[in-house]
Amino acid sequence: MADLFTTYVVPVLWIALKIMMIVVPLLMGMAYLTYAERKILAAMQMRQGPMVVGMYGLLQPFADAVKLLGKETIIPTGANKFVFVMAPMLTFVLSLVAWAVIPVSDGFVIANINVGVLYLFAISSMGVYGILMAGWASNSHYAFLGGLRAAAQMVSYEVSMGLVLVTVLLTTGSLNLSQIVTAEHPWWVSLLLFPMFVIFVISALAETNRSPFDLPEGESELVGGFNVEYSSMTFALFFLGEYMNMILMSGMTSILFLGGWLPPFGIAALGFIPGPIWFALKVCFVLFIFIWARGTMPRYRYDQLMRLGWKVFLPFTLAWVVLMAGALLYNNALPGM
Amino acid sequence: MSFAKSVRSFFLVELVRGMALTFSYMFRPRVTLNYPFEKGPLSPRFRGELALRRYPSGEERCIACKLCEAVCPAQAITIEAEPRADGSRRTTRFDIDMTKCIYCGLCQESCPVDSIVLGPNFEYGTETHAELLYNKQKLLDNGDRWEAQIAANISADVKYR
Amino acid sequence: MPKLTIDGMEVTVEPGTSILQAAEKLGIEIPRFCYHDKLSVPANCRMCLVEVEKSPKPVASCAMPCGDDMKVFTQSAIAKKARKGVMEMLLINHPLDCPICDQGGECDLQDQAVSFGFDRSRYHEEKRAVKDKEMGPLVKTVMTRCIHCTRCVRFGEEIAGVDELGVLGRGEHLEIGNYVTQAMTSELSGNLIDVCPVGALTSKPYAFTARPWELHKTESVDVLDAVGSNIRIDCRGAEVLRILPRLHEDINEEWISDKTRFAVDGLKNQRLDRPYVRKNGKLQPATWPEAFDAIAAQLKNRKIGAIVGDLADCESIIALKDLMRALGAANLECRQDTAQIDPAQPAGYLFNTTIAGIEKADAILLVGTNPRVEAALINARIRKTWLAKRIKIGVIGPQMDLNYPTKYLGAGPETLEELLNGKGAFADVLSKAQNPMIILGAGALRRADGLSIQVLARKVAEKYNMVKEGWNGYNMLHSQAARVGALSLGFVAGNAETWQKVNALYLLGADELPLEKMEVNTFVIYQGHHGDRGATRADVILPGAAYTEKNATYVNTEGRPQHARQAIFPPGEAREDWKIIRSLSEVLGKTLPYDTLAQVRQRLVQENGLFNEIDAVRSAKWVPFGKEGKCDKAPFVLPINNFYMTDPISRASRVMAECTKVFVMKADQERAVARG
Repeated sequence: MADLFTTYVVPVLWIALKIMMIVVPLLMGMAYLTYAERKILAAMQMRQGPMVVGMYGLLQPFADAVKLLGKETIIPTGANKFVFVMAPMLTFVLSLVAWAVIPVSDGFVIANINVGVLYLFAISSMGVYGILMAGWASNSHYAFLGGLRAAAQMVSYEVSMGLVLVTVLLTTGSLNLSQIVTAEHPWWVSLLLFPMFVIFVISALAETNRSPFDLPEGESELVGGFNVEYSSMTFALFFLGEYMNMILMSGMTSILFLGGWLPPFGIAALGFIPGPIWFALKVCFVLFIFIWARGTMPRYRYDQLMRLGWKVFLPFTLAWVVLMAGALLYNNALPGM
Repeated sequence: MSFAKSVRSFFLVELVRGMALTFSYMFRPRVTLNYPFEKGPLSPRFRGELALRRYPSGEERCIACKLCEAVCPAQAITIEAEPRADGSRRTTRFDIDMTKCIYCGLCQESCPVDSIVLGPNFEYGTETHAELLYNKQKLLDNGDRWEAQIAANISADVKYR
Repeated sequence: MPKLTIDGMEVTVEPGTSILQAAEKLGIEIPRFCYHDKLSVPANCRMCLVEVEKSPKPVASCAMPCGDDMKVFTQSAIAKKARKGVMEMLLINHPLDCPICDQGGECDLQDQAVSFGFDRSRYHEEKRAVKDKEMGPLVKTVMTRCIHCTRCVRFGEEIAGVDELGVLGRGEHLEIGNYVTQAMTSELSGNLIDVCPVGALTSKPYAFTARPWELHKTESVDVLDAVGSNIRIDCRGAEVLRILPRLHEDINEEWISDKTRFAVDGLKNQRLDRPYVRKNGKLQPATWPEAFDAIAAQLKNRKIGAIVGDLADCESIIALKDLMRALGAANLECRQDTAQIDPAQPAGYLFNTTIAGIEKADAILLVGTNPRVEAALINARIRKTWLAKRIKIGVIGPQMDLNYPTKYLGAGPETLEELLNGKGAFADVLSKAQNPMIILGAGALRRADGLSIQVLARKVAEKYNMVKEGWNGYNMLHSQAARVGALSLGFVAGNAETWQKVNALYLLGADELPLEKMEVNTFVIYQGHHGDRGATRADVILPGAAYTEKNATYVNTEGRPQHARQAIFPPGEAREDWKIIRSLSEVLGKTLPYDTLAQVRQRLVQENGLFNEIDAVRSAKWVPFGKEGKCDKAPFVLPINNFYMTDPISRASRVMAECTKVFVMKADQERAVARG
């Protein structure tokens, strides 16, 4: 009996606790990400942003949540009800599931698996299904167009993202995310990885349908894109999913390029600050870049988007993989060799 | 594509410059107001919600001359009049459809007794259309509520008339 | 014929024409206040000043007769300066109360101040104020606004014939007033409102009601007497607000009687706005089909009669006549007052001289009529003729108060007989007259020997050469707008009393009958617009349209057909009268062969050619009419005691009730006091 307790119940509780420790701050973070986005955009446009609900509008996210919960879920007559309802759920669930392998601190990861990168890649690629389903199931022209755009866009950028990952993997020699963080490499490797970081961030923007690549939503031409028919909680799930994906992508970026929970630039003096704080700060930095980009750039045209993905990023990353591999091989710096 | 342009393109110079610009804007002073708590200045000539004024004695100013009704380009005003018990000329009905009103101010301009005025109030949104169909009582109440400000506005503007 | 030049344009005018009239002929407008086409020329406002060559000062054009080779300048600097000066002086004491003035928007002073005046005043002293005068229930006075044009005084003296208004004081203290505070005792007093160029005299019932620019104006004719005055109906929305005269030189010139003008509020009271059917002794509201079905069920096997009231239009009369013919009804009647008239001879029942023709007369004999209450505008025309030529006017009938001197001859038919035998002073007057006239009123007709009296009158007319080439001096004066139309459409069969013998009666607005004499079981259909006497007795009520609510034809006492035009829609479910009869005919299985107004009017023309020419008078052929017989010696009795209440509309009018109280009842009281 004790065996049962120690082998099953305790680990399950421990995992559940860890999940709570990840998910609750995540949801809070997501809520305040919407607030931060509005405030930062407002600042960049010399506006005030939300100011009414709570001090400096701090309770605005909760007001929005209450509003969304209080509204009626409208399911269009022509919609495929099952798919229509499943789509936002899928999007939301996927954006949470990915966090299973993200190491928040040294050893603080729900599932420390050796194919973490592949897992993440698989999960983030599945995100497109939620949007595609929503676009199709709504039985609406705008939604359908938005869904199609999303599919094309996400598929396109995954290719270059994959190749960026390959360059990272070349330097670390592991698919385990914790090991990627702790892997050490010489300074010139970091220099070579910097362009990959830029491309990864841009691709992440495209992957999460964020401005300037928010064509699937495309308010000005598609009204609301794939989520035009959604209201209330179903819409809220999409909304949550999108922001959760942003946080996930930021987490991936900080793990792959910014050194995860470690203090920046390996400065030991800053080691007294706990890892999760560093991780959170790095995530916040990347999120700020996301919002910053939104505040700066207008939306891409569809053909420009495709050109950038296929004719710029793909050849460039491909060339970079070869360059990196060659450089590492020449310097005998390939890990595990 | 020239070399310089290619280099600029490769190093995302324009992108960085744009980002820098928006970043710098974050630290500029805000130009908007925290509206319901802060309000911008209003000109004495501001044309807001319509009101009917009274004399200090409490007597309504309107004498039912119907000039505002005649001049109103949107035909938002409806007036009916008859002699009051004391023989004076008064309206029995003074309706303004605020959803027709275009706030041109011609009624105020035409009023010989400064009775109808476009007051300083602009916060009178309602939930239903019917609430914006003002009758005489509503307009007089508006006048009573805003009299101090309306009087100040008129006296501020009087030297330009 | 003087030939003169005005503003460079040459014009030749009759001698004695004023410069102002000559300019009007050329289409040049000269501003004026005191000058009025129909009144004498006092030249006291000085607004019409123009420059005349070789004249040292500007000349008042209204009073200056045209001379040969005159050169007049109406737009010269001198003329303009003179007008501006006059306007400034006029405005010195005129209050700037246009916003509360009822004349605002149709004010001569306002218009001319804008066109010819300065745009600001140099007068900073106190303005004078004048006490308002009490002028009865019709005319409201705000004497401060008066500019002393004296039009009202001249109107009272010349047209209305009552010397009640005058000018008191001089200079700053000059005031228009009535010497004794009392209502103006004239049935034309409402015209003071039109005559006044400013807002000093305005309509009391209409006070503060509307502005002229809000009103929808419809040109129509009046039906409250048989003159057929031309009127303009001013209405706003579904409400007639006022009635104004329209110029018609041959009928009403530019006046209308007070009843015509002020009885409009009667159109709003006591209206029948839905059909009613009597069930269990009580009138119950019903729908049109219910009402028609009730009629269809009751009319079977009944002896039907139809009576046309005093306000019925010719379209509904002809429709009713056709329907009654189809139903085989023989008893048709249009003479509710039992007047004896031979419908076959138009010369016997028309006002042959025509109203404008009165001005050519030089002796008038009134028989059993008081034109002042029966046809106020014909009376005004007689007064105008008397004023111009001091003609002799003789009266046979009761003593009455006319506003021109008359010679009282006697009270009854025997006076007429004496006249026929050439006795009395007035016989001399008649035989010396070039164009003598006789006017027979209802007082001489509504008696059993009415037709014999007409023979007597015809003989008098023939003896004194009243009927000759180019002149017909024999006149019958009606006071009901429908009468001549109904007579000319032949809505007469049997005699005036036969309606008491039928057991189904169709009343087309007939309210003057002594219905209490009727059998209890008689089935009565009342079609009309007011809940008056007829409707009270009715078993089925069909709501019709009043004269402001239908396009209709009326024939006035001269035999002049005129169109009344629809100004507003009838209230509620009420409909135009001929349409009601047309619809009823379908339910009764006797569908009338016309569906449009044009078709009905075609039918009118078919029935009587006079309807072919609207607003024209045909002279009737002079043939013997009437019935020889012995005349009763009883004196003539006048039909109308109260000018203000003669029909359902004026009986429903509060203003007319007020007038009755002020003018009629007070006068009766005074008479009673005088009698002791």
